[in-house]
Amino acid sequence: MSTGTETEPEAELAEPGSETNEAALESLLGERAIARDDHLNAPGFVINPNDVQDVLSDLRDEAGYDHLSCVTAQQYEDRYESIYHMKKFADPTDEVSIVVPTTVDDPVSQSAEPVFRTADWHEREAYDLVGVEYEDHPDLRRILLPETWQGHPLSKDYDQEKPQLVTLTEHQNPIQPDHHDAESDTMFLNIGPHHPATHGVLHVKTVLDGETVADVEPDIGYLHRCEEQMCEQGTYRHQIMPYPDRWDYVSAGLLNEWAYARVIEDLADIEVPEYAQIIRTMGAELCRIASHMLALGTFALDVYGEFTATFMYTFRDREVIQDILEDLTGQRMMFNYFRVGGVAWDLPEPREEFFEQTREFLNELPAKVGEYNDLITGNEIFQTRCIDTGVLEPEVAKDYGCTGPVARGSGVDYDLRRDDPYGYYEQLDWDVITRDGADNYARVLCRMEEVEESAKIIEQCLDLLEDWPEDERDVQANVPRTLKPDAGTEIYRAVEGAKGELGIYIRSDGSDKPGRFKIRSPCFSNLQALEEMSEGEYIPDLIASLGSLDIVLGEVDR
Amino acid sequence: MIGVLKSMATTMKHALDGSTFTVEYPTAAPDVSPRFRGVHKFSQERCIWCRQCENVCPNDTIQIVMDDKRNGEQYNLHIGQCIYCRLCEEVCPVDAILLTQNFEFTGDTKHDLVYNKEQLKSVPWYKDIDPLESREPDRGAWIGEGDGEVDYQ
Amino acid sequence: MSGATATPSLFPLQNGGDPVLLPEHITELTGLDQFGLAGELLATFVAAFIVGNFILAMTGVAGPWAKRKITASFTDRIAVNHLGPGGIGIIIADAVRLLAKENIIPENVDRPAYDLAPIVIAGSAMLGFAVIPMGSGIHLADPEVGLAFVFAVAGIASIGLVMAGYASGNKYSLLGGLRAVAQNVAYEIPLVVTGMSVVLFAGSLQMSTIVDAQQQTLFTIPGLEWAVPAWFALVNPFAFVLFLIANFAEVGRNPFDMPEAPAELIAGYQTEYSSVYFVLVYLGEFLHIFLGGAIIATIFLGGPAGPGPDELGILWFTLKIWGVFFLTQWLRSAVPRVRIDQLIEIGWKGLLVLSFANLGLTAAIVGVIA
Repeated sequence: MSTGTETEPEAELAEPGSETNEAALESLLGERAIARDDHLNAPGFVINPNDVQDVLSDLRDEAGYDHLSCVTAQQYEDRYESIYHMKKFADPTDEVSIVVPTTVDDPVSQSAEPVFRTADWHEREAYDLVGVEYEDHPDLRRILLPETWQGHPLSKDYDQEKPQLVTLTEHQNPIQPDHHDAESDTMFLNIGPHHPATHGVLHVKTVLDGETVADVEPDIGYLHRCEEQMCEQGTYRHQIMPYPDRWDYVSAGLLNEWAYARVIEDLADIEVPEYAQIIRTMGAELCRIASHMLALGTFALDVYGEFTATFMYTFRDREVIQDILEDLTGQRMMFNYFRVGGVAWDLPEPREEFFEQTREFLNELPAKVGEYNDLITGNEIFQTRCIDTGVLEPEVAKDYGCTGPVARGSGVDYDLRRDDPYGYYEQLDWDVITRDGADNYARVLCRMEEVEESAKIIEQCLDLLEDWPEDERDVQANVPRTLKPDAGTEIYRAVEGAKGELGIYIRSDGSDKPGRFKIRSPCFSNLQALEEMSEGEYIPDLIASLGSLDIVLGEVDR
Repeated sequence: MIGVLKSMATTMKHALDGSTFTVEYPTAAPDVSPRFRGVHKFSQERCIWCRQCENVCPNDTIQIVMDDKRNGEQYNLHIGQCIYCRLCEEVCPVDAILLTQNFEFTGDTKHDLVYNKEQLKSVPWYKDIDPLESREPDRGAWIGEGDGEVDYQ
Repeated sequence: MSGATATPSLFPLQNGGDPVLLPEHITELTGLDQFGLAGELLATFVAAFIVGNFILAMTGVAGPWAKRKITASFTDRIAVNHLGPGGIGIIIADAVRLLAKENIIPENVDRPAYDLAPIVIAGSAMLGFAVIPMGSGIHLADPEVGLAFVFAVAGIASIGLVMAGYASGNKYSLLGGLRAVAQNVAYEIPLVVTGMSVVLFAGSLQMSTIVDAQQQTLFTIPGLEWAVPAWFALVNPFAFVLFLIANFAEVGRNPFDMPEAPAELIAGYQTEYSSVYFVLVYLGEFLHIFLGGAIIATIFLGGPAGPGPDELGILWFTLKIWGVFFLTQWLRSAVPRVRIDQLIEIGWKGLLVLSFANLGLTAAIVGVIA
């Protein structure tokens, strides 16, 4: 909705040539666009709640917006609003936001699920946390909170002080009825929430026909920590930055911090010194290697069993990175190293030692990757286990909004570092890895090759940092002590996290804290595709597919 | 079959070279980096009770009680709730609170981890590392150059 | 083969000659033979006690410790090193810990099958050691059908696994139990058929005869004066490899650790076992690995044969068992587990066919030589 408080910067930030683009969109939407509600990152069109499917399918089929990146819901004093953040896989800088307002009394809006499968979970989350109801949605249940939860925590009339006890008797225990059905010969099996292969507290409701998986339904929310709401209570300037570390908490910290740093720097129009950007790029890629190492190790754990040597080898390599990052940031995992407008510290003194340490790691890396190839990917038994299992076709991956190594393993050439450049990536020489296998094996190979590309990036960053003139080492921009972006400013920005597109939507309400803070988690979208990947396969393949998605429940549930 | 044998050869190579990468903690204390953020140390002598640390703390870990004349009475910090983000140290204009490298602390209940100012004062340095040494160059960006020696009793 | 003495004896097969079996040694040394049958019975118990404790010390104490150490060396770790030399004291600590734990028995388990299963699993493997000649005179019994007996009692373990899987009242256990059946049926046949090829060579099922048959010299390496013994592993390496692979499936270890499959089925059939029962199940697994090693050592690696005097036999025999155990752990750290359908496929379409081919081949060779 046009609120009349839109700010100047949006015109500058919109991509070049957007004039014609917007005109084309306007003519495509025609009468259906009842108003404009532009965001800093994209033109926004307000449409009627019953035009959603129509508009979204037109945008996908006619205009090529084939990536429904995120669905944000929020409540204003006078209305509910669902925002569909749409992009193109071919060019993620070409964005459009579809804003769907509904009344407070009757917050019913048409579901986008028939157009984009990924909308399924996103809309369930919007329903769960904010309270917007979606017509035509196949399965509109709560997703993060227990089914008997009262009220919608992010809506205006919710009493956040009031504790709620959700008892077992109220909340049906899924184990209690044995799902025994005399007619069928299938077996219901709870995989998780406590199970060695769920990588955290994930509950997968599985129906088995012998050893074959007949139906899979991931049940998430066990690790829901209200991260979005916590960020809404923190100040832009200081208090939000420590939290991204805790979304994807397995050593992807700096990548997550960058998601927030990018969105707030675009929102508050802060220019980050080049030197700081290089440090950021280097740190983020170190995190990516650490994160991929962990993904590789845990995947091996799922395929080999608990005595595999691979897991320990990957942890050994990850340990080296963590030592480097500890020297740089001061913590092994919860880094809190980025600051709005830069980073907290310059490289640790003595710098030579730091360079030497990092270079030593990079020099040893090719030998280690070779070792992994001998140990894992070259092993015939491993290949028979992984090739052609957990198949995720590229079109399906796009439909589910899969990103990161999961999408790239399916041949979807989508990497925000290259397609929507930030930091220092544009100036560096590296490649985006894609694999056409679309199976578990392709995803493993994709991650391992990305490790090598990350090493290339770090190498170049180190060269730049080493030669950087001593008096130009600015690690922080001049940022005001309190940040108060203009009220009503909205922005969605994403970075390439370890698992894929990690996006953040912020709506400013004029105070020093966000009015709405929405996290688009890559794992959340990727996990949704599990069903597609594992039905009709065997239990071991289900476990392997789950492992190859490399989910972190902290990021799925937030 | 060749791949299987290669896998076996790889693990055997590791077994034969005999090197290990695990640390025998607590027999051998691990090295922590000078920037590492551990338990806080507080100096009442330096504190000016400006409450900036209390304000900046993202999850209300620091609790300060003052009397009606704005004299500090209590400085409580829940080291079990703290997320070790170091923002309190960063905003402190007088270096009254800082994070040592000490990560070894225990408590039988979570209440044992609520440290008052006396307990915070007596937190030992880890391996005698003075955290300020590694951080000093950057503190200027926040608080201006410090003057004179810093004394932490 | 009647006994030389008029009184009925427990050792009718070997009576008459010099003492061969451990109970006979004991009878003679202690003079228990004057008490007739009762004395022999007592001697048998004493012998079984000695052998049983030796096996238990190896599988229950040294085994789990060595497993930790071996796995650690493959994974660049240190493993236990605080209690006792090399940390072996951890086994005592572990025993105290496990036995002191509450034995949690879930509500809807099917007793007494649930209680019997651990005993069946551990006991069946122990029985197998009765007919294994371990050298240095340590050999409890030597029936004519020794090899068949070993396969038979080792096969009982699958019943234990099914009992455990079914009686636990847990779906993961059930799946583990089902897998155990499918796997054992698929691999027991190749195992036995491959074993038969050895019998064709030796011409007997009797363990001592099989061992004796391997004492001949296969060929002498010229110049070195080093006689290569006619171990069946060297006579027929193909059978040896087949048997080794089938054995890994039989004892359920990587790449065939299907019934347990920790990442998939939590712990398969043993999910619901705790405390003492868990110790028994765990011990049973180790016993089976060692029994598998003992069978391989006996029928393929010349049993207790080795350089040096015959008294060192037990040493060589133990070393051979540990070699097989080491290989098991090595595979665990290096090789992924195959999928259940692939496992069955390998069993029925691969190993079974190959084992029959091997049997036919061996029969032909034996026929030609004879």
